[in-house]
Amino acid sequence: MKFDKIDNVIIKDLKEDARTSFREIARKLKVSPDTISNRFEKLQKEGIIIDTTVVINPSKIGYSFIARFGIKVKPAYSTQILDKIITIPSVIVASKIVGIYDLVAISVVKNFQHLWELRDTILEMPYVESVKIGMWVKTMELAPHYFLI
Amino acid sequence: MSGKMTDEIDVKVLRALQKNARTPLKEIAEHCNVTIDTIKNRFIALKERGVIRGSTIVIDPKRMDLGNLVILGIRIVERYSESVLNMVIKIPGLCVATKAIGEYDIEAIFLLKDIEQIGTTKEMIEDFPQVKSVDIGIFVDKPLLCPKNFEFD
Repeated sequence: MKFDKIDNVIIKDLKEDARTSFREIARKLKVSPDTISNRFEKLQKEGIIIDTTVVINPSKIGYSFIARFGIKVKPAYSTQILDKIITIPSVIVASKIVGIYDLVAISVVKNFQHLWELRDTILEMPYVESVKIGMWVKTMELAPHYFLI
Repeated sequence: MSGKMTDEIDVKVLRALQKNARTPLKEIAEHCNVTIDTIKNRFIALKERGVIRGSTIVIDPKRMDLGNLVILGIRIVERYSESVLNMVIKIPGLCVATKAIGEYDIEAIFLLKDIEQIGTTKEMIEDFPQVKSVDIGIFVDKPLLCPKNFEFD
């Protein structure tokens, strides 16, 4: 899909504030709000915009740190396991990766007890071979819009 | 942890907006059986208290030709994590960098255009004298986000 100026402005504005009104974007581009609304729907349908969400500060709702889980699995089972991991409450993002692990999951964590529970939940999934943990301290986010934490 | 937690209405506001950041506040008000002004005030208060840091769209970086997300695990000479972290955050393409406890001393996630840029970024970090090793993982497929599942007490 080719992007034109309208698409680019929509993406840029909504990345900074997903609640920007279509009327405001329309006024800027001198087009009708319906045009913006149609484009937005198209971008969603095409899978370019995956989601719209609020960015919540986990420390304000009872979480104390972030942990990264590096997971090794039996070959050919990564999709199946990823689909399960993504349903764990508190996991923010998960993906297949190539390189150090087969899957990576990043989660907000309440305390050590919670951390062990998360680790065990993943370890108990069939075909999971190992789980390595990195606890994040002093996290700096330069592009939080790219990385929802 | 911060003292003041959210109440039931706050949680409903957060849940609705996590699912869809563009949910009209009117809709949330109807769902909670309160006035739209109540929801407006709650929304503003949640932002002021820093519970809501902002709102955004999640885009598929591959479809936008932005490249690949890459996670780097860095091991360093003891006591230098601060200075290495400060150098890492200056490297172009960085999304998030952190000191870590566990497998690595520093972990970072970058959005990098191609294999070549992945290579040069890795080398750049390996060149820091205090860096012992850099491990790399490249995200395949789009990362799955599940802010919808984010749990509240």
